[in-house]
Amino acid sequence: MAVIEIRSLKKSYRVYQKQEGLAASLKSLFHRQYRDVHAVRGIDLDVHKGEFVAFLGPNGAGKTTTLKLLSGVITPTSGTAHVLGFVPWERENQYRRRFALVMGQKNQLWWDLPAQESFQLHQKIYCIEPGAFQRTKDELVDLLGVGALLGRPVRELSLGERMKMELIAALLHSPEVLFLDEPTIGLDVVAQHNIQKFLKHYQQLRGITILLTSHYMKDVAALCKRVVIIAGGRIVHDGSLAAVIDRFSDYKVLTLQFADEQMPADLARFGEVLEVAAPRARIQVDRTEISRVLSAILSNYAIHDVSVEDPPLEEVIASVFAMSASPAQPGDAQAEHAADVAASAAK
Amino acid sequence: MRKGEGGRGNAEGGKGQGDDGDNGAAAARLPSSFRLPPSSAQAASASLGFSDYAGVFLMFARNSLIRDMTFRANFIIETISSLSWAVMNLGFYALVYNLMEHAGGRTIAGWTQHQFFVFIATTILVNSLVEALFMENAEELSELTRTGGLDFVLLKPMDPQFLVSVKKISWASLGKVLLAVALLAYSLPRIEGLQLSLLQLVLYPLYIVLGTLILYSIMIALAATSIWLGRNQSLYDFWFYLTNFSRYPMEIYSGRFGAPLRHAFTFVVPILVVINVPAAILAKPMTANNPDKLLLGAFAVAAAVGSLVISRWVFTRALMSYRSASS
Repeated sequence: MAVIEIRSLKKSYRVYQKQEGLAASLKSLFHRQYRDVHAVRGIDLDVHKGEFVAFLGPNGAGKTTTLKLLSGVITPTSGTAHVLGFVPWERENQYRRRFALVMGQKNQLWWDLPAQESFQLHQKIYCIEPGAFQRTKDELVDLLGVGALLGRPVRELSLGERMKMELIAALLHSPEVLFLDEPTIGLDVVAQHNIQKFLKHYQQLRGITILLTSHYMKDVAALCKRVVIIAGGRIVHDGSLAAVIDRFSDYKVLTLQFADEQMPADLARFGEVLEVAAPRARIQVDRTEISRVLSAILSNYAIHDVSVEDPPLEEVIASVFAMSASPAQPGDAQAEHAADVAASAAK
Repeated sequence: MRKGEGGRGNAEGGKGQGDDGDNGAAAARLPSSFRLPPSSAQAASASLGFSDYAGVFLMFARNSLIRDMTFRANFIIETISSLSWAVMNLGFYALVYNLMEHAGGRTIAGWTQHQFFVFIATTILVNSLVEALFMENAEELSELTRTGGLDFVLLKPMDPQFLVSVKKISWASLGKVLLAVALLAYSLPRIEGLQLSLLQLVLYPLYIVLGTLILYSIMIALAATSIWLGRNQSLYDFWFYLTNFSRYPMEIYSGRFGAPLRHAFTFVVPILVVINVPAAILAKPMTANNPDKLLLGAFAVAAAVGSLVISRWVFTRALMSYRSASS
């Protein structure tokens, strides 16, 4: 049975509609206009033990809201969810000992203290038996290579180092389910890669279930076999990363290297020309046309090298986002974005 | 001081267990086969006891001390400034009594100078406990709400009110406890005809704890409104206006305007019993045949329990409306 089971989960916020100008502000003192913002509009999802699932979507699509619902931080408007058999927002201690949420934009470690002090606090809060605590901590510190930094105040760590410490803090109690909300945000390429490597290794080692949101396709490509795309509070795709490309992209990128500087002048008749730097050219070709175009080129020109590739993942995803945002409910994407903004502004 | 900690931890520990009871009931609603078995590492017992909460509290206290020691200069400045505030306050009242004696008076509302010094010492004691244990945390609650930091509190397998209330201990405020004890040691022998009994010495710290809990309850309930109101809006500042009234003997609230105030601040918001009851227990002779005093003492216990229950209710209700902040 599924570790995470979500059925028609909905979350909407009532937000105060702010008007511009002083007069409107004064008026709003007495008469306020509210509107409902639907952050999550009915999600169904099953995630099985040991899966590493990516949650993709534009800003304000409802990814973070879903993770917060599954963590029990907020309560849904309607619908159900079970994680490990628990209803998250009942906030049972038994449940809270078995999962963890890591947010790339927030930190829970004590800012002025070395991370190891926060780790000890977690040991107490999660009632981790001292032997197990020591073993887990040593293992994590070793995997992430942060042994030398344990005694340094968190505020003196780099963003990447701090993220590693946050991960350790979240994993000390050996959670079976891990929610990662943009864990690599703001990190440089090397730090991103390190975190990816760690997550991949740790997930395989422990067989835990992970739900990850990220805007970096590299994260997703490196880590997740399964991708769930959420836009406008709904799931628009659930499947493998390759399937996303198959489904949402109808062209391939053809890279040609011509021999003897002999470049045809009218490349455009084969497809959209992306780049020409003689003797190399990149052409975007309709997927259904690819074999015809290839044979035409190969039979008419001397070619040194040729490659046929899928378009860059970022582009495909961007077009999926754009597609899902536009036709059905115009203005939805903005409304969802407003939801996030409003939710934070209302605080 | 240690009594304060124990009492606090105990109250919360008890509540934590109550929560688990509820959770147990919720768990029972699901068929047991539906539950995934916990991994071996999580086999720890589900219900938390007093010792678990005490352990976390001590860790909070320890980490706070480490933090305070890191910022040594700040720690010293805070200690000195809070001490000098108390000393200046004391000097002011010494001045008032001095002036009064010149005018031929000896007491204010039935309190002689040294009795009133005991009253001030009690005020300092209770306030420094509240400041040390809760004030920084209550202040931070609205910030936690605004930034969404409360998320992390709600993720932890412990009572959120406990975690929010005692996360940071402000050790600098404890310097005033020493001042209060010194003031007690100075004033008590100078009160005419006072024979301290064992009962007084037992009851005094007990009522200090109760008074601290009353002030805490009001503080956390007011601070929790920030979860409802959002942003930096909170009724927290109101606490300072309210508790101002607790710093004077309740006898001064008399007459046409005083009596209603006295009733309101005894029975509606019980801040008048916070200092008055312990101070009177120590500074005034204990007479068994004073029904009013006994009643007030009994009422103070009920007031502390009632305040805690109400603050708990407010905090829990406020949490339900928590919306978290965008990441």
